[in-house]
Amino acid sequence: MHQSVTFDAELLRAYDISGPRYTSYPPATQFTEAFGEADYRAAADASNDDPIPRPLSLYVHVPFCTSPCFYCGCTRIITRDPLKGRIYLDHLLHEIELQARLFDPDRVVDQLHLGGGTPTFLSNEQLAELLAGMRKHFRLRNDEGREFSIEIDPRTVDEQRMQQLADLGFNRVSLGVQDFDPVVQQAVNRIQGVEETLGVMQAARRAGISSINLDLIYGLPFQSLEGFSRTLETVIEARPERLAVYSYAHLPRMFKAQRQIDERTLPSPETKLALLELAITMLTAAGYIYIGMDHFALPDDELVLAQRRGDLQRNFQGYSTRAECDMIGLGMSSIGKVGDTYSQNIKELGKYQAALAEGRLPVVRGLRLNEDDRLRRAVIQQLMCHGELDYVAVGERWQIDFRSYFADALSRLRRLADDGLVELAEDRLTVTPRGRLLLRVVAMCFDRYQRAFPEMSERFSRVI
Amino acid sequence: MSSQPVPADLQRRLRKVCSSCSLLELCLPMGLEREDVEQLDELVTPQGPLRAGEHLYRVGDDFKALYAVRSGYLKTYIIDSAGREQVLGFHLPGELVGLDAIYPARHQCNAVALDTATVCRMPYEQLADLAAKIPSLQRQMFRLLSKDIHIGQILSGDFTAEERVSSFLLGMSTRLRQRGYSATHFRLAMPRRDIANYLRLATETVSRVFKRFQDEGLIEVERREVQLLDVPGLQRLCRAVPD
Repeated sequence: MHQSVTFDAELLRAYDISGPRYTSYPPATQFTEAFGEADYRAAADASNDDPIPRPLSLYVHVPFCTSPCFYCGCTRIITRDPLKGRIYLDHLLHEIELQARLFDPDRVVDQLHLGGGTPTFLSNEQLAELLAGMRKHFRLRNDEGREFSIEIDPRTVDEQRMQQLADLGFNRVSLGVQDFDPVVQQAVNRIQGVEETLGVMQAARRAGISSINLDLIYGLPFQSLEGFSRTLETVIEARPERLAVYSYAHLPRMFKAQRQIDERTLPSPETKLALLELAITMLTAAGYIYIGMDHFALPDDELVLAQRRGDLQRNFQGYSTRAECDMIGLGMSSIGKVGDTYSQNIKELGKYQAALAEGRLPVVRGLRLNEDDRLRRAVIQQLMCHGELDYVAVGERWQIDFRSYFADALSRLRRLADDGLVELAEDRLTVTPRGRLLLRVVAMCFDRYQRAFPEMSERFSRVI
Repeated sequence: MSSQPVPADLQRRLRKVCSSCSLLELCLPMGLEREDVEQLDELVTPQGPLRAGEHLYRVGDDFKALYAVRSGYLKTYIIDSAGREQVLGFHLPGELVGLDAIYPARHQCNAVALDTATVCRMPYEQLADLAAKIPSLQRQMFRLLSKDIHIGQILSGDFTAEERVSSFLLGMSTRLRQRGYSATHFRLAMPRRDIANYLRLATETVSRVFKRFQDEGLIEVERREVQLLDVPGLQRLCRAVPD
């Protein structure tokens, strides 16, 4: 496949349409309340039955933040009350115990991710309690092969905390930066100094954390090419193993905090595209490899190697090198993926805690994939991770005639081929370097629900 | 048992249950003359479908009939005096269950569908009368009884986990090939804990052996789908196990 990427402003403008990010297929908008706790239990039970059951991956959502970043679209609660964290943790520990009963005890947890909100809203003692709860009820992998990561707000962590996190077993951290430009930071209500952030990165390295990810965002209020290029220079200098460069999606009707952002201060579409181009140019010139969607990594990073080998995976956190896991979502609003199902927990704190107080799993909606969903998921995953499709291999694996099964998709792809996003050969499709920034558009051609519910596209963020 | 009695007109249409069956040469009619098979048609009735987890019979039920699996898989098992389940066997289309109930005239085990399954019911009294008249049918019944006893002997032997698992996979492969399915690429209908129980191994041992076989390139496993990549390699592993 092509690991290079070409920035083509005209093409990006022409295809600036709404679409899912395909961290799941079908997308979460298809989840239904017809799927509940009993369906989840059945799926978990069946997942134990394979001759080699999949390893487990735990995602834990910690929804609290002490102050709101105005750009944020995550499910979170703004509070400074530590008691809220304490009560939440107790319910979380109960949920861990209930969930662990559903999975055979010989299944190993290979992957663990704490996201938020701000996981470091919890004290290190509380995080230690959380990890101990997980170790008590699940078999957590202990060797170097484990992938235990935590999202860190650099404003909440010092050298000592970082060492304690490493001692708890975390070997990867993800740090939010967004932009170092003070004007931008002021406008998004997130003041975070360069020294502070770099200090946390150094502390992480000293603590033996093997992989650091930084998050940047383009399209924020007052963002300028000069300011963002200084941010990129600083980041490149710090050399994190992985970088995510997200597009800011201004959806004030969906995300209340975004109403604090004055639309007039947002960069123009032209500037926004130029910011993306700047990021791609500077990062690739500095040796970073574009993985896909928002993600970059250093050439010797596992993500790059997995992509070359052809076994990269897409998951809710972006991309992963792990063989497919059964993913257990813990905490309010978390999404799980077990067997051929997706499930999501209650999004409201009170109701989430009430369900657990009654000894119920807080699963509120989900989806059982049918054969067509599974086939399309495999195709979309292949495109999102590797940017190419071998029709013969897909046809053999799924016992279909690819060209007739996907006749609709192939006819839609013809326009994309004319525009240079993809190359269509007799028995394969390849995304071109120009098309790589529009992977979602290519994937959308295979998405059955995009056709069935075109009005739904409003609920997804823009492609760029 | 959930199935309804079959109406008389439908029964007549279904009369050719054995003569028209693709499993004819694996099942009870194996080696029978055409007119003898037609006599079997008279007494065999199709039954089902049973849903996954639905029982065909349970321990202690009166023994009235033998059953041949027509589609899907059945599992037979007992609950021992300590309350533990002991899996006795997995039964593929064309295989008979209920043979162990002939002497005490009560079922000695439970038979449950592993996935959606249909069976053919063969009332035992009528079958025994017919076997008395058709020597080749009687011989075939003895053959099936003998085979049933033999399976138990293999399991009671002192074999390693690798020998048990490879022998199990090759056994499935042979039985599926006889039924016209792929011998090297198949779906395991039974959960791993049933395989483990049947092979008298710990559940995690079964997974560990499957994993080792996969790492060694002998098999490839994707969920319940198993592909045998190196049949001679598997055969070498279980050469101590009698066929």
